[in-house]
Amino acid sequence: LPSLSLSFLIQLQEAFSKGLLKPGLNVPLEEPKKAVNNIEGLKMCLAEFKKNLPWVERLDLTNHPAVDVLAKIEGTLNKKQSSGEIDAEDDFQREMYFYRQAQATVLEALPKLKKLQIPTKRPDDYFAEMAKTDQHMQKVRKKLMQKQMAIEKSEKAKKLREQRKFGKKVQVEVLQKRQKAKKAMMTAVKKYQKGMTDKLDFLEGDQEGKKGSTASKSQMSKKGPNAKRKYKDQKFGFGGKKKGSKWNTKESFNDVSGFRAKTAHGKGGKKFNKGGKKNKRPGKETRRKMKARK
Amino acid sequence: PTLFECRAAVTRVEIDVFFNFHVLFVFQGKWKNKERVLVFSSRGINFRTRHLMQDLKTMMPHSKADTKMDRKDKLFVVNEVCEIKNCNKCIFFEAKKNMDLYMWVSNVPHGPSAKFLVQNVHTLAELKMTGNCLKGSRPLLSFDPKFDKEPHYALLKELFTQTFSTPQYHPKSQPFVDHVLTFTIADKRIWFRNYQIIEEDASLVEIGPRFVLNLIKIFQGSFGGPTLYENPHFQSPNMCRRLMRMEKAARQKERQMVKEIRLEKRKEVKEVLTEDVTDDVFVTPAEEKPKEVEHEAPRPSKSKKKKKLKLTELKKRTLLKRKGLR
Repeated sequence: LPSLSLSFLIQLQEAFSKGLLKPGLNVPLEEPKKAVNNIEGLKMCLAEFKKNLPWVERLDLTNHPAVDVLAKIEGTLNKKQSSGEIDAEDDFQREMYFYRQAQATVLEALPKLKKLQIPTKRPDDYFAEMAKTDQHMQKVRKKLMQKQMAIEKSEKAKKLREQRKFGKKVQVEVLQKRQKAKKAMMTAVKKYQKGMTDKLDFLEGDQEGKKGSTASKSQMSKKGPNAKRKYKDQKFGFGGKKKGSKWNTKESFNDVSGFRAKTAHGKGGKKFNKGGKKNKRPGKETRRKMKARK
Repeated sequence: PTLFECRAAVTRVEIDVFFNFHVLFVFQGKWKNKERVLVFSSRGINFRTRHLMQDLKTMMPHSKADTKMDRKDKLFVVNEVCEIKNCNKCIFFEAKKNMDLYMWVSNVPHGPSAKFLVQNVHTLAELKMTGNCLKGSRPLLSFDPKFDKEPHYALLKELFTQTFSTPQYHPKSQPFVDHVLTFTIADKRIWFRNYQIIEEDASLVEIGPRFVLNLIKIFQGSFGGPTLYENPHFQSPNMCRRLMRMEKAARQKERQMVKEIRLEKRKEVKEVLTEDVTDDVFVTPAEEKPKEVEHEAPRPSKSKKKKKLKLTELKKRTLLKRKGLR
């Protein structure tokens, strides 16, 4: 059936409604135009026109595109393409087809050129005018850089967002963990208080954990207020009569623990900074003079 | 950096560079293949076509330019112009209606010529095409195997080869082969691409320009003569536009018709099928009310104003509340 345009269909409808059409298949009278294809003429013309130049002058090659290595690896080799049918609508495939055709040509032609001693590589010190000016190439480079920067920026932003999400997750997890631990501790303590369990395991469980983490801390806290505390405990703490005891007994006289050699010789003056700072307040006269100057 | 300087490798004395280059490379052989291509256009071309012409002249060192031709003159005047310029090939661009671009490629004195419709033109200046090549370097030509299968394509292949390949030892040419022109047949059109060869392993970058040629006719003579081949798949751009417009018109007509039919249907006298006796049993006419004539305009409805007042009242209340007076 010849393809009937919509307008023609409407015309048919109208004609039919007016009763002009007879039943049966109605076909438009115009015959399809026969395109001229003078094959002999073409061949004769070609024979006349052809210049039998050596390949060096023409540098032309006819070849199928090079095999698409990537597609082969991925297993998406299109059978259509291998036969030569390209889908002109699919831009990427089409351009890749042209690219591979050029590649195949280059691969075939370069050895031929080498044989004929025609150089293909431009030596580094050969400066000549290029098809596109330097200025233009700089613009091109700029644009490429811009694109790359944009991509990098977006990647960075994405990563940051991911990190933030991750960080938030971790934070939430840690808080939850702490809450859980606290809850468990409290229930264990309550249980013990209520007398449901005799064991004080929960304490130990805690201590073990703490010991592992605060090993360094305990070392630090040895030197802390322990000495002072010790003395005060001894003086005011529990156990034993304190009031009526003698002061200079044999034991107290022989006890040399309170002796600091440096302080005795007057050389441990490095810990007095705070006190020293306090005494740095200028004297009355100096203060009066300062006031007067103001 | 690209300068017009070149260092000679052989001689130690620094002679004028351009001369040196000629001595070393070009004059090694004699320029025998005397091909000259005349690239010019008719009036009424737009900027893209102009740039395309310029690009073709850059790509082909064996090309010459000429002023625009008046459209009044008939096409065979082109042959005379070519003779004057001593060219034996011609690429002629014709622009019609500021929209359609036609390209003639012809072998001037007696040979065949072909007319194409040019579409999808991208010039050298496009920033997406990042390759570059020496100005006037000789190209490799790459053809699709489909060019060998049909006689008209074979003729076109020969025509393109002779037109686009730079002759060896042409004085304006560069001795290096660093770019490749591809002609491929897809979707019944000829696609033209230009790639720069970067590495010996055939990694390529597109330089441009690029365009698509839709064959219209092949003539036996130059810009005239008997038609050897006519492309049956070619549809002139006018035809395309006309079809689109007709489609739209047809759609509108259909809509109109549908409307009219609907109106007619409504106006038709509808036949009553059967009269049912019991139809008027429950019909009770409404009471007749005395006709009231209103002499005054009706009062405007208070609803909107009330709402407004409400809002302001609320605001007042909140203010007073804040101040602590309520």
